[in-house]
Amino acid sequence: MEVLKEKVEEEEEAEREEAAVRAERGEKVVRPMEVQREEAPMTQEMLRDLEKKLSDIEMAIPEKLSTFTKDTIDTSKLPLSYQSNTLKEEHLLQVADSFSRQYSHLCPDRVPLFLHPLNECEVPKFVSTTIRPTLMPYPELYNWDSCAQFVSDFLSMVPLPDPLKPPSHLYSPTTVLKYQEGNCFDFSTLLCSMLLGAGYDAYCVNGYGSQDMCQMDLTRDVCPLTVKHQEVVQEEEKVPPKKYAIKPPRDLTSRFQQEQETKKLEEIKAEEERQLREEEERLLDVEKAKTDPLHGLRVHSWVLVLSGKREVPESFFIDPFTARSYSTQDDHFLGIESLWNHKNYWVNMQDCWNCCKDLVFDLGDPVRWEYLLLGTEKSHLSLTEEEEDGLNDDDDVENLGKEDEDKSFDMPPSWVEQIEISPEAFETRCPNGKKVIQYKRAKLEKWAPYLNSNGLVCRLTTYEDLECTKTLEIKEWFQNREDMLELKHIDKSTGLNVDYFKPGHPQALRVHSYKSMQPETDRIMEFYDRARVDSLVKREETSKTMTEYYRGRSDFLSYRHVSFGDRVKKLSLNSAESNPRPIVKITERFARNPEQPADEDVAERVFLISEERVQLRYHCRDDHITASKREFLRRSEVDHKGNKIVMTPDMCISFEVEPMEHTKKLLYQYEAMMKLKNEEKLSRHQAWESELEVLEILKLREEEEEEHRLTISIYDTKRNEKSKEYREAMERVMHEEHLRQVEAQLDYLAPFLAQLPPSEKMTRWQAMRVKDECLSDFKQRLIDKANLIQARFEKETQELQKKQQWYQENQVTLTVEDEDLYLSYCSQAMFRIRILEQRLNRHKELAPLKYLALEEKLYKDPRLVEFMKVFV
Amino acid sequence: MNWLYDSVEPRVMDEDMLKLAVGEQGPRDEAGQLARQEGILFKDVLSLRLDFQNILRIDNLWQFENLRKLQLDNNIIEKIEGLERLVHLVWLDLSFNNIEAIEGLDTLVNLEDLSLFNNRISKIDSLDALIKLQVLSLGNNEISHMMNIIYLRRFKDLRTLSLSGNPIAEEEDYKMFICAYLPDLVYLDFRRIDDHMKELAEIKHQYGIDELKQRENLIQAQLDDERAQREELEEHKAAFVEHLNGSFLFDSMYAEDVEGNKLAHLPGVSELLQAYKDKFVIICLNIFEYGLKQQEKRKVELDTFNECVQEAIQENREQGKRRIAKFEETHLLSLNAIRDESEVTNLEMKIAEHSKDITELFNMLMTLEMQLVEQLEETINMFERNIVDLVALFIENVQSLMAQCRDLENHHHEKLLEISINTLEKILKGELDEDLPYDVRALFVDKDTIVNAVGTSHDLHLLKIDNREDELVTRTNSWCSHLVDAIHKDEIMRNRRRVKEIHQYVDHVQNELDNLECSEIID
Repeated sequence: MEVLKEKVEEEEEAEREEAAVRAERGEKVVRPMEVQREEAPMTQEMLRDLEKKLSDIEMAIPEKLSTFTKDTIDTSKLPLSYQSNTLKEEHLLQVADSFSRQYSHLCPDRVPLFLHPLNECEVPKFVSTTIRPTLMPYPELYNWDSCAQFVSDFLSMVPLPDPLKPPSHLYSPTTVLKYQEGNCFDFSTLLCSMLLGAGYDAYCVNGYGSQDMCQMDLTRDVCPLTVKHQEVVQEEEKVPPKKYAIKPPRDLTSRFQQEQETKKLEEIKAEEERQLREEEERLLDVEKAKTDPLHGLRVHSWVLVLSGKREVPESFFIDPFTARSYSTQDDHFLGIESLWNHKNYWVNMQDCWNCCKDLVFDLGDPVRWEYLLLGTEKSHLSLTEEEEDGLNDDDDVENLGKEDEDKSFDMPPSWVEQIEISPEAFETRCPNGKKVIQYKRAKLEKWAPYLNSNGLVCRLTTYEDLECTKTLEIKEWFQNREDMLELKHIDKSTGLNVDYFKPGHPQALRVHSYKSMQPETDRIMEFYDRARVDSLVKREETSKTMTEYYRGRSDFLSYRHVSFGDRVKKLSLNSAESNPRPIVKITERFARNPEQPADEDVAERVFLISEERVQLRYHCRDDHITASKREFLRRSEVDHKGNKIVMTPDMCISFEVEPMEHTKKLLYQYEAMMKLKNEEKLSRHQAWESELEVLEILKLREEEEEEHRLTISIYDTKRNEKSKEYREAMERVMHEEHLRQVEAQLDYLAPFLAQLPPSEKMTRWQAMRVKDECLSDFKQRLIDKANLIQARFEKETQELQKKQQWYQENQVTLTVEDEDLYLSYCSQAMFRIRILEQRLNRHKELAPLKYLALEEKLYKDPRLVEFMKVFV
Repeated sequence: MNWLYDSVEPRVMDEDMLKLAVGEQGPRDEAGQLARQEGILFKDVLSLRLDFQNILRIDNLWQFENLRKLQLDNNIIEKIEGLERLVHLVWLDLSFNNIEAIEGLDTLVNLEDLSLFNNRISKIDSLDALIKLQVLSLGNNEISHMMNIIYLRRFKDLRTLSLSGNPIAEEEDYKMFICAYLPDLVYLDFRRIDDHMKELAEIKHQYGIDELKQRENLIQAQLDDERAQREELEEHKAAFVEHLNGSFLFDSMYAEDVEGNKLAHLPGVSELLQAYKDKFVIICLNIFEYGLKQQEKRKVELDTFNECVQEAIQENREQGKRRIAKFEETHLLSLNAIRDESEVTNLEMKIAEHSKDITELFNMLMTLEMQLVEQLEETINMFERNIVDLVALFIENVQSLMAQCRDLENHHHEKLLEISINTLEKILKGELDEDLPYDVRALFVDKDTIVNAVGTSHDLHLLKIDNREDELVTRTNSWCSHLVDAIHKDEIMRNRRRVKEIHQYVDHVQNELDNLECSEIID
């Protein structure tokens, strides 16, 4: 068996060498390409598959495409539908041409229509057929806002070659996706395809936009992330006054005075407002851009979504560059030439003198919108149809193909391949995984997850001035961090840092705001109290105090305030841990414990440690306004004579709302004091532990910041190293197993045994013959192989000799280049000859050994062994 | 053991003995010193141990009102008595005594752990009041009948039971039987019952248990029904229209009416009676429904009133609390300032200032309270007017309905009289075909007799109706006046309490200031 293995190896080796040789010769490996081309018409799918794979490869190593022109697109690989038109499409083009002619005849002063630009293969294609409605397999891409965001993130914008004219080419969405670049028409075609696939009533619009919009210039726009959500003040429902509600006490203040007051206040307010307005106006003047000389002429393409489907209440525009939605009355949209979806094409016949504000998007109205194809006309006028539309809403996606067939007898199906976005591309989103958007006084940077080693995915920098030089604040969003950090907010003006965490931090941290990481400085830590044993919600620290808030504890503690004194100087300078600051005062507040009577339920407990006093305030009874109080003094443990004082009445001063008998007793007071003594010790310990915990958290945070490890989901097969290794190991094992099985199946005796008559038992003579035949066969093979090598060797030698001859004959006339070529050929040929020689020698050496090995093996073969035994 | 009891005289639980026990078992060390100084009141004692004291009779324990745990084991007690006042008792140990019957435990509703180990008890009973019972120790007694176990099924919280050393423990089925009939039991005779055992027992005694359960369920359902009925009746009574949702009143009219019943035998009267009854019942039902509706109305009225008053009081209370909180801040500060002040003139000035503050607080709180009183008074008066009006309306309407009843009765009476006289005439003429019973025929001797008989019946009916009406009216009115009185009283009480509280607080604050002054002067 080993012999055979070696043989296989050798053959492989030979192949490799040949390939190497060929590569060295500078010959291109064309074979696979040829194969592919041959197969292309036969198996479209395979081609697509390959194409997809190739595109994947390109994603992995993104190369910088400086220009996105036709030259960079390999049209040869595109399917047939890209490269030619079907009969139906030809017919459609003719229809479109005649429509265009009529149109230009009727409206000579209008721009020619954007009907059938060329595609990447220089074939004219009707715009509607370029739209390929596709529902993406990602649930994130089911709604229009996420779709638009994806398109705007995924593609980088290329300005139109001529800003005043529609482009001459309109590439298929698949090509655009592949190269991640496009102009506004590419953007809107892709977005429209996705929205139609998701069931929206979407249209591509060819029209005119403002300069900012056409050039994707957001520097005059406020960043949407900086806009604070205005809190909707919930109107408190006015409860109608109840029948027996008490009348308020009589108001005895002067009404005249009040009026004067309000007048004065209003005046001040008006003055302030006026100043504010002036300031704003001044700012606006500064910001106002120079007027655009080409205003209203710049061609732009965007997407219109009509109301009705997918519960869209009102029609709106989507700018595909920025993924923002605008109302149809927005100032940025200056006019519409035409619009189309995958079924039809409409020309706007309404006047756009007032931008798009007066346009009526009733595509069923033939006066306002001139349609191209009659059959697919969609009536928005009749109610019944609309209802039907509503009913069919859900099946729309499935029915797309069908509808094309039976409804639009004229509009051929799209020539574009199915739009596919690979999961990697979907995750990477932006080209190279990075995108920067400049807004007014703000800069937004986006990264793909896992691109940055610290998990940074988004950074928003806000500036104070328009030129973006003075940083105001920085917000950084993170993803997949092991420490669950979600957002880091740095306020440059105050120097305050706020870190926000998702649930799952080892210390249950939720928010951490600080100015420096030094302990014993101002900081606020908020926690996920349900994840903590001590139900801590918040811990505020200043240099002298620490305040903790709790929620839902079984001992009803809700608040603890600790004030520290100055640290006592010790001789040896120790760290904070070994020399804690002395505690001056601990204040603890408790929520009401419903199981205890109010008079015994402590509401506030103050340990004045330096004065050795304890103050207790109890909860207020339900129908009382005063609460019981008690104060314990611990000053005199020993009286002036040296006798131990256990308890005297003046050690406890108490005020009771309803004096009770048993509380007056010294025994009761003594027991209460003993209890408090213990509790004081506990509280001090708690305070000390809290301090330690702060130190610990700070240390942990620093470590985390340095390490910034990222978590990888166990379902993420690409990034999860461990599972990848495991999987690869499994695959390797499987492969080896498979090889072994194949080998085991490879029976070197099979061909010879097959020759025997299928009798029940092999005779000894037959066995001998099988053995001999096998051996002789193998011998023949060895000889053949030697001959083959010999033949190649001779061929090479002959060629070399020929070349040498040729060289000697033409030596005089040769140019330097030819000579170089010849010399390099010679050295290569010599190398090959040497290799062949070596192989031949090695073969000669090994052949007898292999022969013997096979013989040995044959002797031991279980099928022959019984016959051989006797023989041996 | 016997020689011990023989040799020692039985002892009486007298004051000395109790004092000694309390003293011995009271606090120790420094606390004990304090306790001795002040003396311990019996009612403050939570736990008492009186074992090996040769007590024959439990006595003089009534002072220990708050006792939680009582140990009376290893005595010679023969009867459980004198424990009625110890209602807070949770733990009672009466083991190693000579008790023969369980008794005298009916007031100990909080008892959770009862030990009667080593006594002479032969029957488990009289434990009904002990609904919280968790541990019951009855070992080494003379319980011989298995059916005692079933009695224990009523204690839902019972988890531990010991019965070893009883004659029933000798029976072979003992364990199985207990496990089957007391499925919630966890420990039996100080051992945990394993699940396997439970399963086995359940299978074995399935029939018996099912039957028992069925019976228990039936009884339970019956009790529930009765309770529901009672509640409904209570509701109707609150609406003052009980027994008006049917022919109850009508039936009661005829229940004592001998003549009326006799006359019913006359021809044509039974139809008349039936029609009369139908109409009468319809009116009764009207009254009933109207009553319920009015009751609902009154309730809503009362609820809104209470709610509003509560709101007002709460609001006022919050204000008061805020004032006091504000005052306390300044109070502490100025007390400290006064303490630190050394110069006499300044000191006096500050003290004066602070007393002014206190007076101001007092005035403020009092003003608040007076304001509330005024507001509440107004509201209460309004409510009173409304509720009185409501009640008056109710009564008026009911009375008019009752008048309808009376009209019906009068109408019926006339008809009946007519029929009777006709019949009399027929009888006199001898034209009557039908046979009348003898006693009915006896009425028809002359006109006076029959008219009297019919009149008696009529008077009786009217009397019944009047009685019912009177009852309704008086009860409604008394409810109304009681309600109003209670509201006034509550308000007065509230006011008194608040005023007292304010005085108390202000006095306390003033005292603090005075004490400070005194100490200053002494210094």
